[in-house]
Amino acid sequence: MNSQICLSCKGIERYLGEEEERVHALRGVSLEVEAGSVHAVVGPSGCGKSTLLYILGLLDPPDTGQVAIESKSVSHLSDDELARTRNKFIGFIFQFHFLMEDFTAQENVMIPMRKLGQLSDVQMRERANDLLEAVGLGDKLRRASRHLSGGEQQRVAIARALANDPRVILADEPTGNLDTANSDRAFELLQNIVK
Amino acid sequence: MTPPLYIALRFLTHRKRALLLSLSGVVFGVAIFICTQAQTQGFARYFIDSTIGSNGALVIRSRFRPRYEPLMVSAKGSKATMGRRLYFEGITNPNEIMRVSRQFSNIVSCSPVLRGTVSARAGFENATVDLYGIDPALHAQTTDILHQLINGNFDDFRNNTSSIIIGSRLAELLQAGVGDTVQLLAPNGEFWRFTVAGIARAGIGSIDATRIYAHARVAQALLQQPSGATMIIYKLRDPNRAPALASRFETLFQHNASSWQEREESTLQLFLTLRMSVAITVSLIILLAGFGIFNVLTMSVLAKIKEIAILRSMGYRRIDISLIFLWQGAVIAVAGSLLGCSLGALMTWGVSHIPIRLRGLLYTNYFLVTWDWRHYAFATLLALIAVFIASYVPARRAAQLPPVVTIRGSR
Repeated sequence: MNSQICLSCKGIERYLGEEEERVHALRGVSLEVEAGSVHAVVGPSGCGKSTLLYILGLLDPPDTGQVAIESKSVSHLSDDELARTRNKFIGFIFQFHFLMEDFTAQENVMIPMRKLGQLSDVQMRERANDLLEAVGLGDKLRRASRHLSGGEQQRVAIARALANDPRVILADEPTGNLDTANSDRAFELLQNIVK
Repeated sequence: MTPPLYIALRFLTHRKRALLLSLSGVVFGVAIFICTQAQTQGFARYFIDSTIGSNGALVIRSRFRPRYEPLMVSAKGSKATMGRRLYFEGITNPNEIMRVSRQFSNIVSCSPVLRGTVSARAGFENATVDLYGIDPALHAQTTDILHQLINGNFDDFRNNTSSIIIGSRLAELLQAGVGDTVQLLAPNGEFWRFTVAGIARAGIGSIDATRIYAHARVAQALLQQPSGATMIIYKLRDPNRAPALASRFETLFQHNASSWQEREESTLQLFLTLRMSVAITVSLIILLAGFGIFNVLTMSVLAKIKEIAILRSMGYRRIDISLIFLWQGAVIAVAGSLLGCSLGALMTWGVSHIPIRLRGLLYTNYFLVTWDWRHYAFATLLALIAVFIASYVPARRAAQLPPVVTIRGSR
């Protein structure tokens, strides 16, 4: 059973802010996420959902506690090793798509692949095309990301998160900035990916 | 192409105005550095070539012997060696000195010269001149006199002992041309008549305005000098080693020997000071360009905070982020240096065609420039260093940016 756990954390504590503004954002959070499952962290605004997500995504270190990817603790890893782990195992989707404005949709999807360096340029391009096709943007591969609509940009962000075939996708309110139609489409996409 | 270089190129090309601003700073800095160095060194090189071509790289003059004053003790560290010598005008046994000195590998040739100051008269014009009594064949081997002739024929001078070669400005002063007669006043008050066989232009005002070449034996008789030579001038394979050889010759021959560097020290210092002054000014321009790049890249870091956070979230390391900004600097530096070198060469060529009528210290009708690869290498090195320093700080700052803060701030 343990071999199917792709992401876990134990006893996560996190304080935010300093001195009088210091807030205890996370108190002893522990969880285990199985491969192929979809989980939602819900709660009121400011309860620490995003903080937990950044810790699980190795972007922010916890004050105490441990994070493990595929049952391997990452607490002792250096900044470079954490970056490498992030590149290979984790895909992020943010509320604001966070695309690189100077790049086309296709190039945005290729950026994580370039860093991983496992595919040739042609293979990267083909994979980016397939992913964009899958999110319904096959006809807008070479369009500059800033010329895409909000919904389209978020779909490119989803394709980009899938670029390196990650074990975990962390989505921080991925539909928070979209209208209902685009929200439904994004959710559908994410669920299809898991399936 | 590495991912940081790929991203750096994209960042650069999408901010064309900033790129153009940074690039133009480096291009003009490098170009102006090259052009000014070419000019200042051009004049200095011309002067050095002219002085070595006319007066040799090394000159042996008066014989000396130590002054034996055992009771006199000089102060510690005193360089009063000259004061402790007794000088005797003229060279003792010049042929023997020349025979021995020719054994030195750095010596190409040498020429004995009998030198004296006399008055010259041509028509109604008079001038005080510097008479050089020379052996035409040896002098032609040792100096650039053949190339300096702008009028007349050296063979006419060689074959006629009552002929002379006169400096170009002196010729103008005396209003004498080739074939004209110039009279030189001997110390006994007698005028000797000579035919002008040639007019020489060394390019240095002080030489061209005073010098007359005559045959050594005729000069000896005219000046009524007992010694056959007052100095020996040398042509060297490596003129830069002249000071060491001069010191060696002084010890060996007990004659005063001076290198061209020592002889022209004050003028060379003037050129050096001028060159350094210009180099400092232009280096400031390059540093200013570096400051411009620093500003552009710092602005770029501020403008790309979001992109930096995205890249970090996708697994790009701090060093990758640094490299993105260092590559931008490197591209600007390399492209700017290449374009700057080309523009510098073009400007140098253009400047060398600007007419300028100099008839003072030097003789020239155009700006003098020198083509030296070291100017290009040094300007490029300076640009690379300036741009690297200018890029390093923003690059470091970009790498230190915590991605979570940016991502949180964008919510």
